[in-house]
Amino acid sequence: MLSIRNLHARVIEKPVLKGINLEIGTGEIHAIMGPNGSGKSTLASVLAGRDDYEVTDGEVIYMGQNLLDLEPEERAWAGMFLSFQYPVEIPGVKNIYLLKAAVNAIREHRGLPELKASEFLKLVREKLKVMQMDEAFLHRNVNEGFSGGEKKRNEILQMQLLEPTLALLDETDSGLDVDALRVVGEGINQMRSPERSVLLVTHYQRLLDIVKPDFVHVLAHGEIKLSGDHTLAEKLEREGYEGIEAA
Amino acid sequence: MSGFSEWLADVKDVRAPEALAVGLPTKRVESWKYVPIRGLARTTWQPASPQTTEQFALTGGQFVNVPKVDGCVVSENTVTASEQKRLDRMSQAHGFGLTQAALENTRLVLTIQKTASVVLNLHHLANQASSAGFATLVLRVEAGGQLTLVEQFESTDIESANLSSLRCLVALSRDSSVTHVRFQAANATAHVFSNLDVECSENASYRLQTIEFGSKLARNDIYIALVGREASASVNGLAITSGTQYHDTHLAIDHVVGETNSEMTFRNMVDGKGEATFNGRVLICKDSQRSATEQSIANLLLSESARVNPKPELEIYADDVTASHGCTVGSLNKTELFYLKSRGLSEADARAFLQYAFAEKIVEEIEHRDIRELVETQLLGELKHGELIVELKESVDV
Repeated sequence: MLSIRNLHARVIEKPVLKGINLEIGTGEIHAIMGPNGSGKSTLASVLAGRDDYEVTDGEVIYMGQNLLDLEPEERAWAGMFLSFQYPVEIPGVKNIYLLKAAVNAIREHRGLPELKASEFLKLVREKLKVMQMDEAFLHRNVNEGFSGGEKKRNEILQMQLLEPTLALLDETDSGLDVDALRVVGEGINQMRSPERSVLLVTHYQRLLDIVKPDFVHVLAHGEIKLSGDHTLAEKLEREGYEGIEAA
Repeated sequence: MSGFSEWLADVKDVRAPEALAVGLPTKRVESWKYVPIRGLARTTWQPASPQTTEQFALTGGQFVNVPKVDGCVVSENTVTASEQKRLDRMSQAHGFGLTQAALENTRLVLTIQKTASVVLNLHHLANQASSAGFATLVLRVEAGGQLTLVEQFESTDIESANLSSLRCLVALSRDSSVTHVRFQAANATAHVFSNLDVECSENASYRLQTIEFGSKLARNDIYIALVGREASASVNGLAITSGTQYHDTHLAIDHVVGETNSEMTFRNMVDGKGEATFNGRVLICKDSQRSATEQSIANLLLSESARVNPKPELEIYADDVTASHGCTVGSLNKTELFYLKSRGLSEADARAFLQYAFAEKIVEEIEHRDIRELVETQLLGELKHGELIVELKESVDV
């Protein structure tokens, strides 16, 4: 589904990604772990099309298309979704406007008919229940005044509604208490499917206890230093990143 | 020679010779330096004539169909000595003030009686091409009285320059309150002048919500004096400027005594070759202790050739006060745009969302529901790609 080859990227003049190679097959869950500043979030942002980063070399093929040629909205239409590490507050825009506009924009590009108001409300209510969110969230401004945990739930709610083919989850577990972590983790698990791939970016193992990845990669200094199965995450939790960083 | 010379030479008003001598304000006058007055000077202005309407309206410089409502009394057109003083100050301080005073057509004096609660809807009708109307409205709100004044502007297509000017004096007695909503959506060739002078006595509160969409040129001068303890004023404003429009608001609030509160929030959104000026000044006098003021000015530039001239000013002479202020100028936030696009919104829809959001922060504060909805409809009509939001509002708002 996604093939990253020798990806180099820099922000301003500083190289952050220094030759990433990664293959994500359909239906697979990959976790990218690594110390702070290793380039994890940069990788997620570059894949989603954020233009603060300049790709200097390499290529990314997503379902046969050259991903780096696509605008962020075109990537979303093609089935990609990024859950933000810091979800953006948009005062003045109700959450429900964004949700409905997003769902219908993506449906349109999938050749599906637009959801009517009643169909949309039914769907969104189901998803709210999964995420244990109150309906009042729909009528509040996008992420404005949400707690850290509420923002992350709102991201996963969006993912549930948009049903992406490839989900990039950037530190979705950061800032969550134990209960919120469980809700968010279950929300992700519920989306597991043979047609859907997930790239989880995380600093800690705790989310991976709930969402078991098929593969774990360790990123350090802008390169993947080590790959393995989910037991690698447990090893890192015990031993830390020091040994890998030095390698 | 100004565009009013012939008219001024014709009127008998004692201020006409001085107005004629002074002429229109030039760019050398600090508070007028950005105002493009060429259109004013080029037109040979003549008095507008009133049109027929069934509404309470200002047309051709005259008030028509003044409503007869309980608690609202139409007084003689004579003003008190202190009111005259305030009117004189207005004519002297304002670059255009002498002309406004000399060409004044009518003056309406309304008194809102003690503890009465009155709603007035004033409609500004468009004046004919090359014609202008000048009027003055004096509002006296007695102790405990409550007034809601809603001003709306009719927008009919008029091919060439037209002008309307309203000077408004508001005096709030103790414990009274005024909610003043002004929605200026005048026609694209209109020149709209509004001078507002408000005085708040003890425990009186004045709240102004002003929205500017329309006109070729609009100039608002707002002066609020808090002269009694516990008096408060709040001004919320939004100007949406595009094409070759020019919008200008000069707002000054004086905390003349202590324990008074003020708040000003103003947003300019400028597109095309539009230009917007906002000058917000708060003065806290030496003995006005325990006063508080909040000032927030935000400017959103949507094109390379759009211009804003924001100028926040705080003058504080007392030492025990709470004051906060902020002023920002910028284009649409890149991170917010990216967030929306990453959810599948097109660039155009994402931009419309953020413009709507910027304006909505002011519009959502309008308590008067009919006006709020009217403003929202018009706002969405002005936005490029506003249709998506219209559709969303219709489908999911309960």
